[in-house]
Amino acid sequence: MPAIELDGLTKRFDDVTALRGVDMTVEDGDVFGFLGPNGAGKTTTIDIVLDFVRPTAGSATVLGMDAREESEAIRERLGVLPEGYDLYGRLTGRQHLEFVAEAKDADLDVAHILDRVGLDLEDAERKTEGYSRGMKQRLALGMALVGEPDMLILDEPSSGLDPNGARLMRQIVREENERGATVFFSSHILGQVEAVCDEVAILQDGQIVAEDSVEGLRQATDTGTRLVVTVAMDELEAAADAARGLDVVEGASVEGDELVVTCDSDAKMDVLTAIEDEGIEVDDFETREASLEDLFAAYTGDGEGPTATASDTGTDADASDAEEGDA
Amino acid sequence: MASEKQGLDGALLETFDWYPVAKKEFRDAIRSKGLWILSFLFTALFLLPAGRALFLGENIRRDVAEVGMQFFISSAYLNIVTLLVPIIVIFAAYAAVSEERVSGSLKVLLSLPFSRRDVIIGKVVGRSAVVGVPLMIAITLTGVFFAISQFQFKFDVFAWFTLFTVAFTLVMVAFVVSISGAMSTNLRSLAGSGIVYFYLSFGWNSLANWIGDLLADYLGITGALRWNVVLFVKLLSPTQAYKTLTNSMLGEGSGAATTARYSMFRQGPESMKTICADVLAGNPKTVQSMFGNRTVCESGGSAVPFYFSDPAVFLSLFLWIGLAAAISYYTFDRVDL
Repeated sequence: MPAIELDGLTKRFDDVTALRGVDMTVEDGDVFGFLGPNGAGKTTTIDIVLDFVRPTAGSATVLGMDAREESEAIRERLGVLPEGYDLYGRLTGRQHLEFVAEAKDADLDVAHILDRVGLDLEDAERKTEGYSRGMKQRLALGMALVGEPDMLILDEPSSGLDPNGARLMRQIVREENERGATVFFSSHILGQVEAVCDEVAILQDGQIVAEDSVEGLRQATDTGTRLVVTVAMDELEAAADAARGLDVVEGASVEGDELVVTCDSDAKMDVLTAIEDEGIEVDDFETREASLEDLFAAYTGDGEGPTATASDTGTDADASDAEEGDA
Repeated sequence: MASEKQGLDGALLETFDWYPVAKKEFRDAIRSKGLWILSFLFTALFLLPAGRALFLGENIRRDVAEVGMQFFISSAYLNIVTLLVPIIVIFAAYAAVSEERVSGSLKVLLSLPFSRRDVIIGKVVGRSAVVGVPLMIAITLTGVFFAISQFQFKFDVFAWFTLFTVAFTLVMVAFVVSISGAMSTNLRSLAGSGIVYFYLSFGWNSLANWIGDLLADYLGITGALRWNVVLFVKLLSPTQAYKTLTNSMLGEGSGAATTARYSMFRQGPESMKTICADVLAGNPKTVQSMFGNRTVCESGGSAVPFYFSDPAVFLSLFLWIGLAAAISYYTFDRVDL
């Protein structure tokens, strides 16, 4: 039985169509990444799963139950970190956790939950109006963990978290998944999803552009990895030829005073070695990661293919976390 | 899986899905400083008339002492309750749902296994408890003041007064919370509740009389039917219902309900006779007074018709709970958040 099954889900608000026939299946036990730019309809989809919003057409089935008719029974088994939420400023962290435990009729080990999300007991006795954004996010994540839910729904969970917090969040996702929980995880950041998910769906403009395994996603991402090499001006063409001689290189072109090589991300060193073997000195190089937009292009075949935007030599997820500032 | 909790708290948790919401509401709202200040002012104002009763001159007449408490309740407390309690209720409850909607905490609340009805009921109960604390303190102290004053303290009369006041408060809380659930911002919720409050307090009689005039002028409906309709409309206001209900209880006697309903009207002598005889089944009597002739209404052989009787008026108070439930159903239960 799938954990979430969406069938022809359509949602029109007054003059905006947020979702246009979304079909999607989240298998039980998966860590499922729901990827898409801001405004693509991710939160609307989650709102329908939680029965905050009712679909114009189509249906949503969650844990085998109808999202509209049996919402309470569904939410009994969910742990949710909503997007754009707030806490009760006059209540303490502990009171928040107690409230969730009472609502779910679940056992509560306050110290254990706090420990997992990286808050201490002192924080828990303070009113949440004094919490920083990151502390609120940690507490909200802790609230989602109360009662060992069958499925976690995390909407943009790393927003407001520093890189350490984001790493902690990913660790919790893995732990919860090992315990047997399905994790449904939305993000507009590629690296986030890549780092923890088994399966991925990409939503753009209210439509599913692709549903794929994370390996498939990685290949699509790799298509977009570009190596930018700086060499002496008169040696650019020779360096390009050297790069083209390798199987792993998909293309190499001179753009201005730089050589741009499209290749697998693993092959970067091979390319640099091949150029140096020709006796050309590499002055500088950097890799440019594919952006989310490039990824859509890779999946939909729209546009001119991947174009490098973000300039970054690191490809690990924490570096991507830093992008949130301008989201 | 289920945690074992002891005592009343545990029993309530077991029984009511909305109980955690009510508890959370109480814990949250009770920490609001503004509400504390307002509650303090409310209690002080509430105690003024009873305080005055404490300092009446020596040796008041026996017949005055006998009904003194009733007189104070009827002349002072009915107005205090109907004018002040709704203000406290509005301040304690207007943001109950709208604030959570605006801030986004409603998303946290509704991601937990509560139905939207649980949320509304829990909020009504929780906010009623918040208003209930200063209200019960004020009522209890008032009772103590009356008991030690020279007036005769009638426990049953005071208990009924307390019950009706609590019922009235609950109705107002339910109504204000339902408005809060219907509005997208706190300001709109405050405005909505405020307008309804002013209309109920100061505009409802005009509305009832206006409907009566319309019936007479345009449909030719006059006499008993017209005044039946007018009284019916008057009693639809929780404020009017609460006042006339308490007045007839304070009147202590078989004709008290007749007198209480009759005193809701201020019309010419002919109309007053019709109202007394044909609407309330009483005996109109003209008496001479300092200000000229006045028609009074004595209870006839039979009591007021059952649909204007005290139990019917008490039930009509709860029509507003039904109205509040309907508002919540159509504006909160069934809509996108």
